[in-house]
Amino acid sequence: MKKHSGSAWKYLRISGISLLLGLLIGAAVIAVLGKNPFTAYYNLLQGCGFLEKEKYAGGRSQLSDLSSFIDYLTPMILAALSVAVAMKAGLFNIGISGQMLTAAFTATVLVGYSPLPAGIAKPLVLLIGAAAGGAAGALIGYLKYKFNINEVVSSIMLNYIVEYIVSFFIVTRFVDPISRQSRPVSDASRLTLSEIKISGIKYDIPLGFIVAVAASLLLAFILDKTVLGYDLKAVGANRRASGYAGIHVSKNILTAMLISGILAGLAGVTYYMGYVATIEPKTLSDVGFNAIAVSILGNNSPGGIFLASIVIQIIDKGATYMSSQQTLEVEIASVITSVILLSSACGLFYGEIGEKLRNARTAARKQHRGKEAAQ
Amino acid sequence: MSDTEYIVEMKHVTKRFPNIVANDDVSIQVRKGEIYALLGENGAGKSTLMSMLFGMYQPDEGEIWVRGKKENIVSPSYATELNIGMVHQHFKLVSNYTIAENIILGMEPVRKVLGCIPVVDIKKANREISALSEKYGLQVVPTDVISDIGVSVQQRVEILKMLYREAEILIFDEPTAVLTPQEIGSLLEIIRTLRDGGKTIILITHKLEEIKQVADRCAILRRGRLIGVYDVAATSTKKMANLMVGREVSFDTEKPPAHFGKVVLQVENLTVRNEDRFEKVKNVSFCIHAGEIFAIAGVAGNGQVELADAVAGLVRPSSGRILLGGRDITEETVRGRAEAGLAYIPEDRQNCGLILDFNLKNNEALRKYYRAPFAVRSILQPPEFDSYAEKLIDKYDIRSSQGGDTVVRSMSGGNQQKAIVAREIEQDALLTIFVQPTRGLDIGAIENIRKQIVSERNKGKAIMLISLELDEIMDLADTIAVIYNGEIGKTAPAGELTTNEVGEYMMGVKHHEEA
Amino acid sequence: MNSIIIDGMSFTLPLFIMAIGGIYSERSGITNLALEGLQGMGAFIGALAAYIAVNCFGMPQGSAYYLAFLFAIIGGAVYAMLHALLCIRFKANQVISGVVINLLATSLTVFLTKSINKAAFGAASNKIDLGVSARYTVPGISNIPVLGAFFTDVYPFELIIVAAAFLAWFVMYRTPYGLHLRACGDNPHAADAAGLDVARIRFTAVMVSGALSGIAGMSFAYSIFAKFSGDLYVGYGFLSIAALIFGSWTILPTLGACMIFGFARSAGYQLVQMAGLPSAYSDLIMILPYVLTLILLMFFSKNNQSPRALGEVYDKARR
Repeated sequence: MKKHSGSAWKYLRISGISLLLGLLIGAAVIAVLGKNPFTAYYNLLQGCGFLEKEKYAGGRSQLSDLSSFIDYLTPMILAALSVAVAMKAGLFNIGISGQMLTAAFTATVLVGYSPLPAGIAKPLVLLIGAAAGGAAGALIGYLKYKFNINEVVSSIMLNYIVEYIVSFFIVTRFVDPISRQSRPVSDASRLTLSEIKISGIKYDIPLGFIVAVAASLLLAFILDKTVLGYDLKAVGANRRASGYAGIHVSKNILTAMLISGILAGLAGVTYYMGYVATIEPKTLSDVGFNAIAVSILGNNSPGGIFLASIVIQIIDKGATYMSSQQTLEVEIASVITSVILLSSACGLFYGEIGEKLRNARTAARKQHRGKEAAQ
Repeated sequence: MSDTEYIVEMKHVTKRFPNIVANDDVSIQVRKGEIYALLGENGAGKSTLMSMLFGMYQPDEGEIWVRGKKENIVSPSYATELNIGMVHQHFKLVSNYTIAENIILGMEPVRKVLGCIPVVDIKKANREISALSEKYGLQVVPTDVISDIGVSVQQRVEILKMLYREAEILIFDEPTAVLTPQEIGSLLEIIRTLRDGGKTIILITHKLEEIKQVADRCAILRRGRLIGVYDVAATSTKKMANLMVGREVSFDTEKPPAHFGKVVLQVENLTVRNEDRFEKVKNVSFCIHAGEIFAIAGVAGNGQVELADAVAGLVRPSSGRILLGGRDITEETVRGRAEAGLAYIPEDRQNCGLILDFNLKNNEALRKYYRAPFAVRSILQPPEFDSYAEKLIDKYDIRSSQGGDTVVRSMSGGNQQKAIVAREIEQDALLTIFVQPTRGLDIGAIENIRKQIVSERNKGKAIMLISLELDEIMDLADTIAVIYNGEIGKTAPAGELTTNEVGEYMMGVKHHEEA
Repeated sequence: MNSIIIDGMSFTLPLFIMAIGGIYSERSGITNLALEGLQGMGAFIGALAAYIAVNCFGMPQGSAYYLAFLFAIIGGAVYAMLHALLCIRFKANQVISGVVINLLATSLTVFLTKSINKAAFGAASNKIDLGVSARYTVPGISNIPVLGAFFTDVYPFELIIVAAAFLAWFVMYRTPYGLHLRACGDNPHAADAAGLDVARIRFTAVMVSGALSGIAGMSFAYSIFAKFSGDLYVGYGFLSIAALIFGSWTILPTLGACMIFGFARSAGYQLVQMAGLPSAYSDLIMILPYVLTLILLMFFSKNNQSPRALGEVYDKARR
């Protein structure tokens, strides 16, 4: 099942073009607003600990920025893997934000507010997150194969349903009267070791990052090397032919959505019980939506997703620092991200242009040769 | 009108597609009021040439002259303005529209509401179409919806569409491919009537008898090049055939007498419904022996595909039983049936038989990838895929640019079909189902696949062959069954039925044996 | 009972006009999940136009209202061109394009709202205030029991929508353009062979969907929200998609579906109010239309006949 290296390069090129285009348009917008785009982009990297800031608050350094960047990166990798696995099976899981919330809320209530010690609480959070997310994902798969409900519509409906139900319970049961968010979960249950002091400098150590790396490797293995991966990709490429080959199409739709949901669930707990420790009512996290961009940009492959996550999260996380330095609105980051995504959605078109150019070149060469022969 | 005797002239036309030159310096001249045939194998470039005359593609080089004037035909609507019409091989009809709506599409009679708002005048359209159909003897009911009418009526709609647009030059692309012998007869009659009414006809076909019957002159194309233009009356069928293929062809596949063995497939009272709960196969029973080619003839859409899908397990029958080698497989899964000895070459090779975006080696392993030696404890073994693909590529002469790594989508139709046939035959099954195995292939590939069918039968396999091409059925079958409206009306040993008799059963003219 | 009908209709009609927009796009063969973004962008442009007209040129609120709708139509249609361009010219995956168009609309409108507020009005605000539209009651008819409620406290936009919906229906089913449009969604090859310009028809159809969604977004901005802000993206676009799916891509049954949503929602609110429950419970009421959508889709999706060529990239040159 070795992938043809030529096609990997092709996608890398497409992603590169998309990225460049997004950054260029972003730069143009920034320039129009009277700021220097280069400084702005420099600020993005500074904000994530890739470049040194001019000054740091007490107890922080470039490395502590980097550690919180990785903390922020972790849920994105998992969420994008969740998009990818569904996409491989021909499904579009736009309900990741809802699945994240479902998982995080369940784990928060069951473990986050319990007195369990860290050694039990942390694995339990992962387990419950995976289970709750998986159940939410599987429900979408079930609605698809049992009732033929378009997964895009059902997952959006479920997003809203989850959002409002969770919000109802937080407001009525678990609210923190000052922050108007859910009460923070216990440190024992939290997946990020927040503000850990090592020789005077504070770090955020994301334990979830290990999970994200493991999930990437495992998913790459499943997709490339196992019968299950073959089945999922076959179903994604052509449902009829898969049925003809004896592959159980609806079972695989369900499996794909289950795996997708599990990954979304893990993204949920690493976000709401790692990167942050609370849930804001009536909001869905952007992670689930940006993950679509990341996955497309990464050509739905675990390796590509790893790289794409870093790029998109730099834009997203660095935007806070950039906006403080440049007095730009934070939303500029999501505008840039949208343009990158917009541009990578046209991948087929770039491919065609490439082919046309190549054909024109070969035709010209042939003609040239023909002329030479005639002379 | 100009003084030239030719109504259409194509001069030194060349058209290239990625990886292929479809027409290479082709020149033809068509006289007004004649039936001009374009003869050639599939892929010879006939349709491409006519698509350029109809404005669907533009030639890369060369000129097109119509009525003595050089024209740049940029679109089908410009072709329509030049009074050129075309009936495509795959009908271009809107399935949920009425006959009238299809005919007037793009040229609707309009009345104004409140003096300015254009409204489609469907009543006027219905009247006009009734008049037109009467004038040319093409019976249709303007208010019938396309999805409810049969293929030959749909073809009449396509012809009316041209006539409604006042076409003078009528192009027919393989018009008889989907018709029964009787329907072919009446279509050729219609074509003659149109010619006698002053129309110019260009007939694309690879069927020599039709050319013999109606055409005045015939241009032969081979691999994109024009071989020559011949006067049909003065040229023998044999000669035309040899010119078309470029070598001596034998039309009859060599076939030793059959030796039937045990019953392999037994179908009992099988009924299959489609998604709309409509009975597509009605209470069908038959059996197929080892070493027998059991051919099912029928007009498209009479339940053949559903029957094949039901036997292969892709759809569940609503009642009846299927036995394979004496074992009841009615409740068995697709994979279970394949393992029990059933191979299936489906009609829709691109959407069903292959996963086009997978490479060749993954497609060749499609039936076996999940078990040893291709997978050990659910983990795939890539070397096995490679060596298996290499073996099949050699044995069945499957051509592709990068061997087993070629993405199947980029392969030619003939090689795609070879890939499917190779995979299914290698299953070494008791029963192999072939549905339209040679459709759209060139003569070389057709001969090759027909030979393989016969050799499988000679090896003692049971073969179920479903084809719309009556020639193929007459050529290969040991037993012929005719399906009409979901029922098998007649089953008989091949020697006992003439082509015309089979045609009559296909049309439902003759019913069950008078018993 | 009356207020259920009054509130129900003021929610139903914007949903309906947006669903008609979706029907235009999808019957021409272009999947349109971008309605949500289209309505938001339309509302943003409309709100901005009205705000500028009132605050910079002293236009009276009444006229600015109609100006807002005009600009919402234009804004929606122009923004929809992006979806059309991506799907038709750039052959992007239509589902992905729709999702991206939504993301871009949300981020861009919120970003612009903030930037413009700061730059032009010196205020750090993330919204454009509009106020709630005035309402009118038809004297006489409104006194008829039950039926009269349809003529009581009517927003002017409801009239705009009824007129636009009728026009859209007429164009779709009676005019040559409508015939061409529906042909493109069933069999673009047939349309092409009949001399129609498939790309252009689809392009205009997507623009119509943007224009109609613009009306919807503007209506929501003038009723439920009384402003333009990021809050406008609450998924009503997706509700209307659900409505058109189980209206089987036909206009009249889709109206029925929209009414179910509208009345479920207003009845729910009425219930919370009458029972005297705390406001948190209205969060639970908010999920009613979504839950109902899912349940209805369970029954109607199975044998649903979508336009045959929906979502396929149509490429003339492909053989």
